[in-house]
Amino acid sequence: MANRSSAAKIPVKEYFDLQYKMTNRKLEEAGIRPLLGYLVLALIFPAFSYYLFYKTEFAEPIYVVVGLTLVGKLSEIRRNDFLKLCFGNNGRNKIRIIENLIMVLPFIIFLSCRFMLLSALTLTVAATLLSLLNFRATFNFVIPTPFHKRPFEFPMGFRNTFFLFLGAYGLTCIAVSADNFNLGIFAMLLVFAVAMSYFNKPENEYFVWIYGLTARWFLLEKIKTAILYSTILALPVAIILGIYYPQNLAAIVAFLLIGWAFLTFMIVSKYASYPDELNITQSVFLALSISFPPMLIALIPYLFHKSEKRLSSLLP
Amino acid sequence: MIEVRNLSKKYGSKEVLKNINVKFDKGKVYGIVGENGAGKTTLLRCIAGLESCDGEIISGLQPLKNHLGLLLTEPFFFSKITGMEYIRLLCNARNIKNDDIGSRNIFDLPLDQYASVYSTGMKKKLAITAILLQRNEYFILDEPFNGVDIQSNILITEIIHKLRELNKTVILSSHVFSTLSDTCDEIHMLSNGEFIESVTKENFQALEAKMRKVMIGDKIEKLGMI
Repeated sequence: MANRSSAAKIPVKEYFDLQYKMTNRKLEEAGIRPLLGYLVLALIFPAFSYYLFYKTEFAEPIYVVVGLTLVGKLSEIRRNDFLKLCFGNNGRNKIRIIENLIMVLPFIIFLSCRFMLLSALTLTVAATLLSLLNFRATFNFVIPTPFHKRPFEFPMGFRNTFFLFLGAYGLTCIAVSADNFNLGIFAMLLVFAVAMSYFNKPENEYFVWIYGLTARWFLLEKIKTAILYSTILALPVAIILGIYYPQNLAAIVAFLLIGWAFLTFMIVSKYASYPDELNITQSVFLALSISFPPMLIALIPYLFHKSEKRLSSLLP
Repeated sequence: MIEVRNLSKKYGSKEVLKNINVKFDKGKVYGIVGENGAGKTTLLRCIAGLESCDGEIISGLQPLKNHLGLLLTEPFFFSKITGMEYIRLLCNARNIKNDDIGSRNIFDLPLDQYASVYSTGMKKKLAITAILLQRNEYFILDEPFNGVDIQSNILITEIIHKLRELNKTVILSSHVFSTLSDTCDEIHMLSNGEFIESVTKENFQALEAKMRKVMIGDKIEKLGMI
């Protein structure tokens, strides 16, 4: 029995040691020294949080939702089945509660520092409860998508994130009823941000190789499809804002153009490091462009050229 | 026609393919056999252009990859793409218009379901359907019979015969010798990255006997069961 209880304790510690090692390896593979990575994260996180709370009055619920979205990813059913198999029911529950709380801890600290104790408590309780749930990531029900004619990024992405578009359209309605144009623009940018996320991972090489196009036309085709489909998704927001704020039509069009530019930037960034994942340089470029969008005018052609080179072995 | 000249491939210091020279003619079916790790899949990926390598690959239609249907040993599928969308993706990639995919579903696959939840055999059949609908001139089929049921096995064999009739070039690898002897005009045996033997139909039996002798040897006796 003594052996058993010690065995029940050790795997949990080993599990987190392993997670720590894996995180360090991922950082090293991305060319970042782990210590530096943690330091940068410790600086960026509060900076981002302050910025969010400075920018919008809806920061508090957004902050809680972002925290919960992060832990939601850990509830994937196969991952939880694996944990149950390795550590048993109690071990799995213990691990899941600890890792969920670790993930939301920075959010809880920040909320507590701002005396938003109810949100901090809500986040703690919700993260703990979420740790006991399993989400089936591969259910068989096929979600209809308007993008089925041109697979794969948008049909797949839409099925994974359709609820975020519903959220964006809901925010647009709130923006109109609360007469908050900025919130409407935030909803439009949210649509583009979600569309950008469809291009954050490199696909299997086979799905580039299959194209009977040169690298240049392949990239142009990807950009064309992305702009068309993201416009379809952003159009409801743009139309509603256009109807209620006709005086701000120029601003709406400008943000549409910015959305297209960032989407294009994301595509050329992805293929500029293909088949590897986005590297630290591209992440820095993205951060710089968000603070100063005109940089995209120079960055997009530069990364487009780099992408052409990276793809030339698969698409001569 | 596909001609491979002096093809070599290294992973670091390890040479996995050594100076391969081979020609694949139109209207013929070629088999590649060899033990696990002999270099079959690497050779097929190099010919397709999915792997960089030294040497030359010449084809009648250029570039080869735009006229080539490639079936991978374990085809990859995205998590939330239906069978129909997978086929459409492969056809779109070659600018092939296929409005009637449903009626060409020869393996009776549930095309409206996510392909990632298909069984191994169904995934293979879906991948085969997609490359057939791409209307390619050349086909590389890496382990096309793996995991498929007996009915589909027969159908795939018939499809390969049909491709020969249509004057296409087919290269396939398999671990099951009988499937190759049923379909191929020529079989090349790969060992440690080199072709050690190439035989035509009339010598398949002799090759199989030789393979049995070399590969089985006294291994069964070593088990000590008899």
